[in-house]
Amino acid sequence: MVFKKWRHTRPFFGAILTILSGLMILWVPLNLYLSTFLPGSVAVIGLLFGGLITLIGLMSFFLPSASKALGIIVIFLSILSVIGALGGFLFGTIFGIIGGALLTAWRMVPAEESAGRPSSDVPAQPAKTG
Amino acid sequence: MNGAVVMESKTNKKVFWGALAAGLLALGILLVSFGLSGVAYAVPIAGVGDFYVEFDKLEGEGYKFYPKLGETSNSDATPQGTNIIEKLTIDNLQLYKDFQVGGEWIRVKIQASKPVQISGLQHDAGLIEANAKFQNLALEENNSTDWTKQFQQTSSTIILENAKLKTHYLFQETINMAGMKLTVEKIDKK
Repeated sequence: MVFKKWRHTRPFFGAILTILSGLMILWVPLNLYLSTFLPGSVAVIGLLFGGLITLIGLMSFFLPSASKALGIIVIFLSILSVIGALGGFLFGTIFGIIGGALLTAWRMVPAEESAGRPSSDVPAQPAKTG
Repeated sequence: MNGAVVMESKTNKKVFWGALAAGLLALGILLVSFGLSGVAYAVPIAGVGDFYVEFDKLEGEGYKFYPKLGETSNSDATPQGTNIIEKLTIDNLQLYKDFQVGGEWIRVKIQASKPVQISGLQHDAGLIEANAKFQNLALEENNSTDWTKQFQQTSSTIILENAKLKTHYLFQETINMAGMKLTVEKIDKK
C-alpha cells in the first residue's frame, strides 16, 4: 500500500520508460567502446545523452513537480541521441519520446475533479503538489 | 477528510498526444534530413574503419588472399583485399587511427613493445606496402559468377618487412600483446 501511494504521487510510468530509454541509448556506445578500444568523439556524445536521460528519469521520481520541464528535455535529448548513439537502434529514442510525453502530460489534480463529482460540502483547499 | 483535498495522479491526454506527435515529427525531420544529406551513413560507423597498421616484421603460416568489396567509415562499398593468416608473430606492432576533433588532428595509437602472437587473423586492407617473401606461393583463377571468388592467392608461409597497411577491418581469434601501450596524442597533419 505504501508503494501504491508513493507511485500515485509521481509520474511513475513516464519515469520508468525514460530510464529504460536512457539505458538503451547507453548500450550502443558502451559496446562500441568495449569492442573496438577506439574512442571516437561521436561515441562520447552517446554516453552523455544516454547518461543524462537515465539521470532525468531518476530525477522525475523525486521531483514530480518538475516533470513537465523534465519531459520536454527528455524528448529533446532522445531525438538528438540518434546522432551520437543511433538512439539505441531507434528503440531508445521512441521510448524516450513516449516517456517524455508521459512526464510532460502528468499532473496532480484533486480527486473530485477527475471523478466528475460535485464538490463536497468541505471547502476546497489549495492543491499541494511536489 | 477534515479539510484535506485528496490529490490524484493524472495524465492529461491532450498534452500527452501533443508532446508525442511533436517528438515524432521532430525525429522524422531529423531522419529525413540525414537521408537527404547522407550524414547518417557516415556518423554511426565513424571511428571504426580506415586505421593504419605498421610493423617491422611479420612471420606467418597459412596465408590466403582474395579481393572483396567492403565497408569503410566513408563509404558502403570500397574495393579491398582480405588477408587470412592462421598463425603469425609480429615485431614492433603499431596500430593507429587519426581523428579530426574540431580543427585539430588527434592520433590514438596502440603499440606493443614485445612480439605479438596472433592466431586466426582476418584483415581487410585497402593498401599494403611491404617487403614480402612467400613460400609455396600459388595464384589461382576460378570460374565463378561471384567476382570475389575468381581470384585467390595462397602460400604456406609469409614474411612481411617494414610494412604499412591501410586497414578497414581486423579480427583475431586470439591475440597475445605483451607490453601494450595506448597513447592519445596531437599530431600535425596537412
